[in-house]
Amino acid sequence: MIKGILSGNVALFHESDTYIVDVYGPAARAIEQSQTETVITGPHDAFTEQANSNLSLIRERLKSSHLKVIKLEVGEVAKSNAYILYIKDIANMDYVNELASRIKAMEIDTVYDTNMLIQCIDDNPSSIFPQFISTERPDTAVSKLSDGKVLCFLDGSPSIVSVPASFFEFFTSSDDYYQRWAIGSATRLLRLVAFIITITFTAVYVSITTFHYEMIPEHLLLSLTESRNRVPFPPLYEALLMETTIELLREAGARLPTKIGQTIGIVGGIVIGQSAVQAGFTSNILVIAVASSAIASFVVPNYVMSASIRLVRFGLIILAGLLGNFGLAAGIAAVVIHLSGLTSLGSSYLSPVAPFHSSDWKDVFIRAPFSLFTRRPSQSKSPNKIRNKMRK
Amino acid sequence: MSKKGVRIVAAFLVIMMMAGCGDERILERLGFIESQSFDLLPNGKLRITCSIPIADPQSEQNRKVIAIDAESSKDAKLEFNKKTSLTLVSGQLRNLLISKSVAEQGLWDKFDTFGRDPAISPQVNISIVNGNAGHLLEKDYKQHPPTDKYVNRLLGKEARAHTIPKMTLYEFSRDLLDDGIDSIAPIIKEEEDNITLDGIGLFMESKYVTKIDTEEAIILGFLRGNLQRSAIDVELKKGQQVMFNSLTSKRKVKVEHADTERAKVAIHVHLKGSILEYTGPLKLDNPSNRREIAKTVSEHLTERANKMVKFMQKHQVDSLGIGQYVRNSLSHNEWQSMNWRDVYSKADIKCYVHIKIRNIGKSS
Repeated sequence: MIKGILSGNVALFHESDTYIVDVYGPAARAIEQSQTETVITGPHDAFTEQANSNLSLIRERLKSSHLKVIKLEVGEVAKSNAYILYIKDIANMDYVNELASRIKAMEIDTVYDTNMLIQCIDDNPSSIFPQFISTERPDTAVSKLSDGKVLCFLDGSPSIVSVPASFFEFFTSSDDYYQRWAIGSATRLLRLVAFIITITFTAVYVSITTFHYEMIPEHLLLSLTESRNRVPFPPLYEALLMETTIELLREAGARLPTKIGQTIGIVGGIVIGQSAVQAGFTSNILVIAVASSAIASFVVPNYVMSASIRLVRFGLIILAGLLGNFGLAAGIAAVVIHLSGLTSLGSSYLSPVAPFHSSDWKDVFIRAPFSLFTRRPSQSKSPNKIRNKMRK
Repeated sequence: MSKKGVRIVAAFLVIMMMAGCGDERILERLGFIESQSFDLLPNGKLRITCSIPIADPQSEQNRKVIAIDAESSKDAKLEFNKKTSLTLVSGQLRNLLISKSVAEQGLWDKFDTFGRDPAISPQVNISIVNGNAGHLLEKDYKQHPPTDKYVNRLLGKEARAHTIPKMTLYEFSRDLLDDGIDSIAPIIKEEEDNITLDGIGLFMESKYVTKIDTEEAIILGFLRGNLQRSAIDVELKKGQQVMFNSLTSKRKVKVEHADTERAKVAIHVHLKGSILEYTGPLKLDNPSNRREIAKTVSEHLTERANKMVKFMQKHQVDSLGIGQYVRNSLSHNEWQSMNWRDVYSKADIKCYVHIKIRNIGKSS
């Protein structure tokens, strides 16, 4: 009864009976568009901080009696509610049980956000890369459920996390499914190219200008040497300087209101884009490299992943500056080794590349026509492998 | 801090400190040798000239040329380094200009380093200079791009049009080291305001022997391999010209007989091209006239091809690689025991050139 009152209910005492009446209607934000995951076509509503409204957003799209919700309590002090959602007979119960037991085993005072929750329960807490993918979009959440994934979210947080996740899932957006399949596929490939650009472009510049002059094409050689001629620093310091400046700009822009953010953009664009080159502070080709890798990093739809990749880039730049292409190759190898070692709720993070499941690739590297999506992703180990069927 | 943590930090510090002492080659501190030329001096030493582009927009000159007398190429590089503020590197080398006098002595011994130094690209163009190579390189040709680029683009463009063979370090050494084929290389020479092609040099082993003229180069082209997108101009009679373009060719070498003493070889070349120009009396829209022209051109080209083969046989150079086909038709022992050069010079080699007219252009 005390618990009921603590949750905001009214207790009514009548003779020897006590009734708990739910008259709880807390102030809440209306359902708005997601700021972090915008799409051009497709539904625009996003989750809010209200668990009930989030549940209703999902129920609205998934009117199945098989959709199950488990409610758990998280935080020794705050006692927030965590919800686990899955579709019975499509989700693998091992994942559901594992997730529930991990949440129950957490020892923490308070958890404020789903993104914080997943850091307490993921497989490799010290890895740079996020191992569970979180979304604010109900349509994405529903598609994960029907893939056989398990959802989890916290009351008071607008993000919903889907487990298990694979590395390549972070490069997909629900927009891919709302465009024609050829355009969706092209966009997916573009994102993977963006990933490669963002982690390697500046590093390659540093490595080539520091060690491998042989690799420069004849026509680029003179203009590159010319622009480097006035720069007083070695390429490594030059690149780190510019990359740090871009990160400063990004961080400043992220924390400021939109109006001041624009000012930052102009100041940054002019000061860094032009003056730095004219003053002989950096070479203009480096500005191109840094700018394109910064832009490419924002192409990655998931903000958490995009931030991880940017951090990895710094490591690669330093390695390239110290050891050249060898360092770069060793760095990339180290990243790949690390990624292959990661697990998400016990399943391989690099699925479906390793372990190899070529049948899943049509929804990973490209977005094939819907008629070809006949199976659920192998990573979810669903008991119902074939889509469009609900077999017992 | 845990033991592992200490190790990681230590490794990181070591890497950071190593930064200063690696073999860094920071771009703006380097001088890129773009072209190198070799001339023979009367005292037997080499005069080596190299050209280095200057990347300073304020500088009036766009390149720097240094010449030195030295024993070998690497020896010269040390000497060159003493004369400049930049570290000279050969990883951007594009042209090797070798004067005929050096080529006559043989290329391989002196140029060992070009095959050995990993910094040097196998895509370096080799050309023989008729005259003083150092002078050709030193001179600025006012109407043309800087001399290094001028030579480089001239050779590249002509090789694409098949008027000269594409001859890079890779191709030269491949033909040199392979059995049954001799190397060739384009010859260039200096003119008043230009650099011009001066034929194709034929090599025996790595020694320059003789050359064939530029006009015959296309014949050498289709006798030596398959061509694509080439062009040929044939003078049938005085004032009667036929020009073919979009020319493709297919070569077939048939070894009709071969033993350790004698060889009989037929080279069939099938050409296909479009007529771009014809200044003769015949009307081209008549198919029988077209056949007539094709026949005449074929006969004409066959004759020129046979003449070229005779010329090569006389000098005992197998620049067409006929030896490779003879070798393939023999057992290894037979090939080893035969003296191919002798057999080659006496061999019965016949060329058959067939041309087919693909179309006759837009007007008729």
